[in-house]
Amino acid sequence: MKLKGKEYWRSLDQLAGTPEFKEFLHREFPVGASEMLDNTTRRKFLGLMGASLALAGLSGCRRPVEKVIPYVIPPEEIVPGIPQYYSTTMPFGSNSYGLIVKSHEGRPTKCEGNDDHPSSYGKSNTFIQGAMLGLYDPDRSQHILQDGLERSWNDFASFWSGLRQGFAANGGSGLAVISESFNSPTLARLTQEFKTAFPQAMWATYEPVSDENIFEGIRAATNGNYIPVYHFENADIILSLDSDFLLSESENIANTKRFTDRRRISSETESMSRLYIVESGFSITGGMADHRMRLQSRQVGAFAVRVAQALGEQGVQVEGINNIQVSGGDNFDRQWINAVAGDLVQAQGRSIVVAGRNQPPAVHALVASINAALGNAGATITYHQNPNTSHSNGGELANLAGAIRNGNINTLVILGGNPVYNAPADMDFGSLLSGVENTVHLSGYVDETSREADWHIPQSHFLESWGDAGSADGTLGIIQPLISPLFDSYTNVHVLDLLANNSGQNDYEIVRRTWRPILGNGNFERNWRRVLHDGLLPGSSSPPASPGINNSSLSAVLSAHRFDGGAVSASNLEIVFQPSNATYDGRYANNGWLQEFSDPVTKIVWDNPVLISPATARELDLENNDMVNISFDGRELEMPVWIQPGHADNTISVTLGYGRESIGRVADGVGFNTYLLRSSSGLNFGDGASLRKTNGSYRISATQDHHSMEGRPIVREATVEEYQDEPHFAEEMVKHPPLKSMWQEFDYSKGYQWGMSIDLNTCTGCNACNIACQSENNIPIVGKEQVYKGREMHWIRIDRYYTGDPENPEMVHQPLLCQQCENAPCEQVCPVAATMHSKEGLNQMVYNRCIGTRYCSNNCPYKVRRFNFFNYTKDTPEIVKMAQNPEVTVRSRGVMEKCTYCVQRINVAKIRANVEDRLLQDGEIKTACQQTCPADAIVFGDINDPDSRVSQAKKQNRDYVLLAELNNKPRTSFLAKIRNPNPALG
Amino acid sequence: MSSPKEKTSTILDEPLLITGGQTFHSVTDKISSITERKTPPAWFIAIGISGSAVLMLFGMIGYLFWEGIGIWGNQVPVGWGWPIVNFVFWVGIGHAGTLISAILFLLRQRWRTSINRFAEAMTIFAVMCALLFPSIHVGRVWVMYWVAPLPNQMSLWPNFRSPLIWDFFAVGTYFAVSLLFWYTGMIPDLATFRDRAKTKIRKIVFGILSFGWHGGNRQWKHYEMAYLILAGIATPLVLSVHSIVATDFATSQLPGWHTTIFPPYFVAGAIFSGFAMVLTLAIIARKIFSLEHYLTIYHFEKMNKIILLTGMIVAYAYATEFFMSWYSGNMYEWFTFKNRAFGPYAWGYWIMIFCNVVVPQILWFKKFRRSIPVMFVAAILINVGMWFERFVIIISSLANDFLPANWLYFSPTIFDIGMLIGSFGLFFTMFLLFLRFLPMIAMSEVKNVLPEADPHFYSSNGRTNGNKSISLSGEITGEADS
Repeated sequence: MKLKGKEYWRSLDQLAGTPEFKEFLHREFPVGASEMLDNTTRRKFLGLMGASLALAGLSGCRRPVEKVIPYVIPPEEIVPGIPQYYSTTMPFGSNSYGLIVKSHEGRPTKCEGNDDHPSSYGKSNTFIQGAMLGLYDPDRSQHILQDGLERSWNDFASFWSGLRQGFAANGGSGLAVISESFNSPTLARLTQEFKTAFPQAMWATYEPVSDENIFEGIRAATNGNYIPVYHFENADIILSLDSDFLLSESENIANTKRFTDRRRISSETESMSRLYIVESGFSITGGMADHRMRLQSRQVGAFAVRVAQALGEQGVQVEGINNIQVSGGDNFDRQWINAVAGDLVQAQGRSIVVAGRNQPPAVHALVASINAALGNAGATITYHQNPNTSHSNGGELANLAGAIRNGNINTLVILGGNPVYNAPADMDFGSLLSGVENTVHLSGYVDETSREADWHIPQSHFLESWGDAGSADGTLGIIQPLISPLFDSYTNVHVLDLLANNSGQNDYEIVRRTWRPILGNGNFERNWRRVLHDGLLPGSSSPPASPGINNSSLSAVLSAHRFDGGAVSASNLEIVFQPSNATYDGRYANNGWLQEFSDPVTKIVWDNPVLISPATARELDLENNDMVNISFDGRELEMPVWIQPGHADNTISVTLGYGRESIGRVADGVGFNTYLLRSSSGLNFGDGASLRKTNGSYRISATQDHHSMEGRPIVREATVEEYQDEPHFAEEMVKHPPLKSMWQEFDYSKGYQWGMSIDLNTCTGCNACNIACQSENNIPIVGKEQVYKGREMHWIRIDRYYTGDPENPEMVHQPLLCQQCENAPCEQVCPVAATMHSKEGLNQMVYNRCIGTRYCSNNCPYKVRRFNFFNYTKDTPEIVKMAQNPEVTVRSRGVMEKCTYCVQRINVAKIRANVEDRLLQDGEIKTACQQTCPADAIVFGDINDPDSRVSQAKKQNRDYVLLAELNNKPRTSFLAKIRNPNPALG
Repeated sequence: MSSPKEKTSTILDEPLLITGGQTFHSVTDKISSITERKTPPAWFIAIGISGSAVLMLFGMIGYLFWEGIGIWGNQVPVGWGWPIVNFVFWVGIGHAGTLISAILFLLRQRWRTSINRFAEAMTIFAVMCALLFPSIHVGRVWVMYWVAPLPNQMSLWPNFRSPLIWDFFAVGTYFAVSLLFWYTGMIPDLATFRDRAKTKIRKIVFGILSFGWHGGNRQWKHYEMAYLILAGIATPLVLSVHSIVATDFATSQLPGWHTTIFPPYFVAGAIFSGFAMVLTLAIIARKIFSLEHYLTIYHFEKMNKIILLTGMIVAYAYATEFFMSWYSGNMYEWFTFKNRAFGPYAWGYWIMIFCNVVVPQILWFKKFRRSIPVMFVAAILINVGMWFERFVIIISSLANDFLPANWLYFSPTIFDIGMLIGSFGLFFTMFLLFLRFLPMIAMSEVKNVLPEADPHFYSSNGRTNGNKSISLSGEITGEADS
């Protein structure tokens, strides 16, 4: 079933009115009963009721404060208890994700991807799933502040109009804006209008984590501004150069979807792509790779040159490599390089070489040239021009910093972002700000920058904003609010409009103004509603361009770069900066779901230790949890160390986005602020770092403590060759006596019988399912200490094992949730029958009946049951409760809980089918994890229907059941993992 | 000092069970006076210590009820931590009491008379400590009663397939029968106390407690039949309770738990630890209350022999378990046992092996079997070892089971430790109260094994047993010589 937004939307800004109006109402009709006790005339009573009702209607989407007032005139289309779905768009840097958001009586509760959107494909990632909690974060800033005092928007507007007159006169000289990067027609229009109004004003776009190097590199190679889109589904051979395109790079959902489409096989006769990766850290892309080589990030460029040269030897001439300065790297595995080059030559036009955003522009230019030479440009890689984007530009920020330092700026407006926290350390942005007379900061939190600024304006969450955003390929979508702003907050559209035009329009009108020319005036209302409904404007993507290689600019950038393939030693370490998979650049630091999200590789929660390889740890005499002093570029930071197998030797990886202070109850004091080490010269990586053990020790919490499968057939894996030899290898890995029961077993051959199949060959381990489940099933967070004690509550977790060489292992992932055993061991040991079986094969948990003996957990061989050791939901702030799914019970202390296969979704669909007097269709019910999974690794459905996708999946020869020999008969089965190594490297 | 019987003792004949030329009167006097004389200061000190531990226990339980199970070290995968270790430990301790009072009674082991009363008391108190843990260990203690099959409007019944329900019935029955058995056996002695009572309170209290016992023939007849029947009922319980407790583990799927050897192995272990505890208590009580004539070295040697026997059964079970885990070819089982011996909990495993297998070996030597200090140390070590046995079984099996991703090291918290200490406090407090207020040695039964109780008794000093018509068991009551 396709749950789509109806053609309704709310212009909440209109309805909700301005804060001033609310304040007026508040003064006129104070909340509370005091007035009611007075001699209330009927007229006054009615007046009061009317006003309360108006308030309730106006703020109907907010939490009801004191009065519960029924809908006297119910809003059309809202049936209490039946959720609505609206489309919206989540902006994310220069990209965006199209979403369908579920709303219960006006409060959004769950984000899902929009099927039609080219960046989300109906799927999502952890950040999208975490957005719901971010919306209801009680620590978000709630008031406009001037030097810490509460102000209204009018105060700010009059402050600005005072300044504006001066800037209008001098063309904006002394005015500067720092913006986050965006991809939005409205923001692009307003930016243009701002620049027209104030031609002398300075503008800088800055993101601490950006694709600037990629754009720069492509610009150098093609002399044009392009955004690359990779079509992994058409690629037979992929070479990743330090690019974790499945998780931490941009467009990770689309990349995962497309990559796994080419890895999904249903029998041994089908082919799949081959992925080579060269990287310094161990990423999940590295885990999916068929061949992985550890190299320091600094060596990757030289490695790319060697590959280009090898391609030349094999007949594919790569432009621009003749005058290249390359040193070192002679010890690269020649056989490996030749194998990669051989494969790439074989797969011309069907391969992809992709480099990570950490690599310098020259490497990206070289990669663009390689792809052009291989005929991939235009085939597996399309380049799109997007005029609506404003990319992060480190140069602009540096210029602005220089201007501030020279005293040329008297007014600085920061539209989002947090430069005091995340700008390069050498700029010392905090003290720069104090040199500016007027500073204004728009931000969701009163953060490091807000505290230094004169004015702080709360920024609206995208779920309460009007706006628009384009995807990587330029497809336009509308940001539609799901709820009126919870606090006195404003969008960047609103602030920028004030700066540029002072139009006084509300966001809705501002956005519509941008869209009038796009949609045409003729049928605007109709088209506008269509776009709101669909969430995007079909066909608005910029057409793929086929830029040729521009030899002169390519050679210029390649010859200017030194490709140094030499490795650095332990006394002169390389340091690599990576965004966090949980908090990204720090913006999600106050999101508990994301903080407790276990890193897909390290499995660490609530922390960002420095990662080093086992060999480096031995050399420096370090163990896990040791505190070390990192010194880099004259800056020092003390933080704990964690040994990461498969990490490049003599490279240390630090994660950005932690160590925030006074942001909120979740973020404060978690991890270490590694931005303190990050300077303009070593923004992504640099060498010359040193690591010194200090006396302290630290305690890192991880959700997994043991990393070897101990030779047990848990994640079953084979190479393509082995699979072809033994198609049934997965099942045959365990020999056991015939599985017989002493009793006559229940007949499950009738009705719906739910089952699940998880394809380990496409599961990348990204962990998005984990947060999706948390959002769907009201799973509490428990904090670092409780996770340390093994009390995390996640219903679905992803086990990560290393196989092979402990220094340089392979990595496999296995999502594990309740296996819904037909012969469930948990059920028979429960003394009060609190867990029992449904006729449809679900292992059900009756929270009301549970007394909490925990015997079921002991007897569960998969240990997927979770126990409420404390009342984890007791202190949930009221506003956070709004994020909870009303269809799922919130569990209290002392009861066991576990995955239900999203029984609430099953029942909603069954009721609907019953009402419509029909049977459920295959695919009508999607579990939360399945719906989110960008790899489509999870398939759920009726196993009694032989044609259902899950039945088909379970018929595959790779199908196996974990611990089948226990005769628990799980309903969840796995499809074994297949790797596709190059036989030449056997 | 020597009677003809002593002189002519042969290999078949028992040595004198009660020494020191005790008479019916001296027995009554000795045992009764312990409860009648002024409370010795040592008793106050002892109960002060144990009472403090009880207060700590109750305080911690209060906090537990307030906060939740999380105050313990329990986690996933180790869903059962120290509380269940303590439960199995205390249930095990309880076993020796019933074995002594019921099985040895049926087997006509007359030497049991000196120790059966406080062994039974020990059973009652140990089972109380044991019952405490599973009750407070559930997540929602306020609905603990749902394990009982109480009729309700929703027709909700407990799940009779769950070993925890079996446990609930087994331990509950055991406690009830043990209590009845203990109390029934105590009635004649309580009547003695009543008759000797000098204060009004004692008169009233013991008057009520002794149920109007006057020592008549019919009463003795009914009493003995009741005692015999209760012994008959208690006997299978000795074997069943710990077998059922063993099924809590044996019926699960967990490697290290899922094994058919558990019921007999647990029973042997229980008797082993129970006797060690009886021995510990007996040695202390004997010393404090100067009961050397009642608790002789002969008694201790008998108990040591049983400890040696059950210890060897336990050692055999350890070996069998280990062998079978290898022989089964089941990689999970084999890993679990290797992990016990050489994994992160190896220290616990080797403490267990040392205490339960190595230490009892010294009891092969008669000299050590009869040496109070040696057996005292051995008994305490055995109790330590048996606690660790349960620790090893429960914790190490859970912590490292099928999927290595779940493995986690278990660490107890201050509350785990505090409640274990508190349970000892509870046990000793109740035991001290028992010593102070109730007959700690079964006077009526001890009199039975005095030479004078023998109808053919002839003493060297010319005293004969005048009343030849008295039946073999319990012919003389306290009132007869008071």
